[in-house]
Amino acid sequence: MLFKLSLSSMRKMMKDYLVLLVGLVISISIFYMFQTLALNSDFTKGNSVISSIQIVFNVGAFLLAFITVFYIFYANSFLLSLRRKELGMYMVLGAKKGKISQILFWETLMMGIASLCIGSIVGIILSSGIGKLLMNLLEISPEGYYPFYVPALWMTWGFFLVLFLITSTINAIRLARATELDLIRAEQQNDTMKRRGIGTIVVALIGVLLVAVGYYALIEIMVLQVLGLIIGAGATTIGTYLIFISLLPVFVQALKKNQQLNDRQLNAFTFAQLRFRVNNLTKVLGTVAMLIALGVGAMAGGLAFQQNVDLISSAQHVYDITLHDPAEEDIQALKNMNVIEQNTYRYKMDDKGYYYVKDDLLAHPPLISTNSIENYSSENKPKRVAEDLPHDGYIMYASQDDRTNLEEVPAEWDQAISTEFMISYEMLKGRTVQIVDRATYEGITGSEHQVLIAQVDDYLNYKPALKAMDQRQKQWIQSSLENEEREVYLSTKYSTYEAVYAFTSGTMFMGFFLGIAFLAMMASCLMFKILSGATRDKDRYMMLRKIGVRQSLLIGSIYKELFLVFVFPALVGLVHVLVGMQMFSFILLDPYVNIWVPTVIFLAIYAIYYYITVRLYQGIVLPKEA
Amino acid sequence: MSASVLDVKNVQKIYGKKGESQSHALKGVSLTIEKGEFVGIMGPSGSGKTTLLNVISTLDRPTEGLIEIAGTNITQMKQNQLADFRSQKLGFIFQDFNLLENLTVYENIALPLSLQGVSSKEIVTKVNRVAQTLGIEEILQKYPVQISGGQKQRAAAARALVHDPAILLADEPTGALDSKNAKSLLETMTDLNENHQVSIMMVTHDAFSASYCKRILFIQDGKLYTEIHRTGDRQPFFKQILDVLAELGASHDVH
Repeated sequence: MLFKLSLSSMRKMMKDYLVLLVGLVISISIFYMFQTLALNSDFTKGNSVISSIQIVFNVGAFLLAFITVFYIFYANSFLLSLRRKELGMYMVLGAKKGKISQILFWETLMMGIASLCIGSIVGIILSSGIGKLLMNLLEISPEGYYPFYVPALWMTWGFFLVLFLITSTINAIRLARATELDLIRAEQQNDTMKRRGIGTIVVALIGVLLVAVGYYALIEIMVLQVLGLIIGAGATTIGTYLIFISLLPVFVQALKKNQQLNDRQLNAFTFAQLRFRVNNLTKVLGTVAMLIALGVGAMAGGLAFQQNVDLISSAQHVYDITLHDPAEEDIQALKNMNVIEQNTYRYKMDDKGYYYVKDDLLAHPPLISTNSIENYSSENKPKRVAEDLPHDGYIMYASQDDRTNLEEVPAEWDQAISTEFMISYEMLKGRTVQIVDRATYEGITGSEHQVLIAQVDDYLNYKPALKAMDQRQKQWIQSSLENEEREVYLSTKYSTYEAVYAFTSGTMFMGFFLGIAFLAMMASCLMFKILSGATRDKDRYMMLRKIGVRQSLLIGSIYKELFLVFVFPALVGLVHVLVGMQMFSFILLDPYVNIWVPTVIFLAIYAIYYYITVRLYQGIVLPKEA
Repeated sequence: MSASVLDVKNVQKIYGKKGESQSHALKGVSLTIEKGEFVGIMGPSGSGKTTLLNVISTLDRPTEGLIEIAGTNITQMKQNQLADFRSQKLGFIFQDFNLLENLTVYENIALPLSLQGVSSKEIVTKVNRVAQTLGIEEILQKYPVQISGGQKQRAAAARALVHDPAILLADEPTGALDSKNAKSLLETMTDLNENHQVSIMMVTHDAFSASYCKRILFIQDGKLYTEIHRTGDRQPFFKQILDVLAELGASHDVH
């Protein structure tokens, strides 16, 4: 009988349950989607791009699980709040507490299972949609990736079932501990104004301190390595929560203390509502801030990697093109490019090494890069090799046996030759490079060749031509390798670009995937919480209407209040991102390149979502116009 | 006193759409309240007294008829005008106080002034003055949850009066109060009426409360049934009210 009753009342509260269901489905489908990527070893191992960032993946999976746990616990207390009054009424009418607890237990569990079923299906659809779309965009091969993946399904069901079991039990226990009157009066309970004394200040200080420690760990990640990542993530997370628990309510209180401001129009009410929110939403706001940080951070990280491709290849190479014995096609292709500088040097090659003519080099000294990955700045312009070569001959790449009476090649020339002339490791294979005077050069019996280096206006404009050139260079090196049949890897500017691009595409894929996932979680999280409290606020808006507050003022108050609720976590989250990007500084030349792109994406999503929440909230609390 | 603060002419209110089952809550009610009057509206449950209060307080629109408050016809006003009118010309006291429990008593009382853009300084003066009149200076910084029912109703009355409304509309103001607090509130209302010239219209079904009024209108089945005036002391007036109520009950039985 009671089951029937509870079923019919659930049907009546369909709208509230729908909000809950949607929230759960979103979190489940995102979790599933992530698992299809993480657990699918064919995909992760087979895809060099993804496997190289496995650690990022694991950290992401951990964070996602952590936040999901929090989210589910929270969502289920919302479920309890929905049912309290009615279940209390049953108890007043004589239903046994045990029976009621049992009902709630099963209701929570059923809700969980229903959302698991829908969530899995949505997850599969999302994986085949968004997952594939992102892969296409980023040119990652989706080989071995299946949207429908049984282990991922198992993982999702196992994880969430355990969570739902725990939360159902907690709900039942909570209900068992409450008295009948507590339950019936649940809605009438007033916002208790906790006095905030010295304890709050201590908590606030600890919070700020933890965030500072976290920031320090992230900035000094070079020194601290993995430990820095763990300390940084941990301390910042806990610190953020503490700040939202302690500092924010104090701030809103201060806002309210300002008599002039408080007495203007509806401000007293708006601030009171805001204070109520920040007191009640501390944990949610903390979570939202963290999710924003993770979401935007992931996107910014991914994008920074992608954007750094050009920087990385340009930091190493000044010359866009290096051609050994350029073919006719190469010359033709060069004619179609906007060449800024072009030099050709002859050299001879024998079994022992490569021989460049000193006078040739000195006549047209090449440019070298003054940048390195460790110490990058866009201020560092390429410079021309200025070192003189007073000796008769120089040698580099020499082993102990080869070391004759020749001098070591000076540093700048060494850099020019190793990065701009010699484009493949395979070319060296036991050979040395020597700089010799003209007389010695004449005497060498090897074959004569030439190397052409050229700088163009923007090498990214000529990608197909450069690709073809590299292809021909590979063949040229292959043919010079005589009996050996092996893959040749080039280190020209374009080849470097191509290799790094593939790697960073993977990172960006991860970044956007995680970013969108976190932002979506955040979206339902905050909306959920605000809307679940909305029925309580209904009476307040009704009263205000009665005493003659214009509808437009009420709407304005809602916009203002929710804006502040939204702004706090956004600010904290964005600061986290700005500092957090430091942790990429040891692999990225400039982690902040184009940081505005993810910021704008985030702000756009956030703004739309803010607007939707305001509209939904308005629909619930504002009395309908007569 | 001659100027009327409230003029209700032949007001009808029909709930439900045409063609569907309609209920006729008010069937042509006319009444006038002069400035400085303390008028009670009485009637059995379902007689239409709450509907009457709602249309007068501009929370609901009459289907037909005319309502003028302080010389302004409110039946043709737009929503925003109505809201402004409520906040400037009307004061409300409700049975369940309708205080915003997340604001202090001070903030609750200050709200109507804040809405009118009164300066912070002036608000302090006015709130303190009205708080003094109602004897609630001590609790201004408290939240509604921290004070008693009687104090809450006084706070609500202070909020209703702080902006000097043309008329104070009270809907069962003593309904949620114990007898001591109820008496004290009614005495305060009488004091406001007699010494501060506040015009009051009070809807109640409680004869004791009604006996504080100077004139009582009885409503039955959406129509004005009768009206009685207080000429002397409260005690005989109270008996007179009970007589009318008995009469009403009798006619009710006949129906």
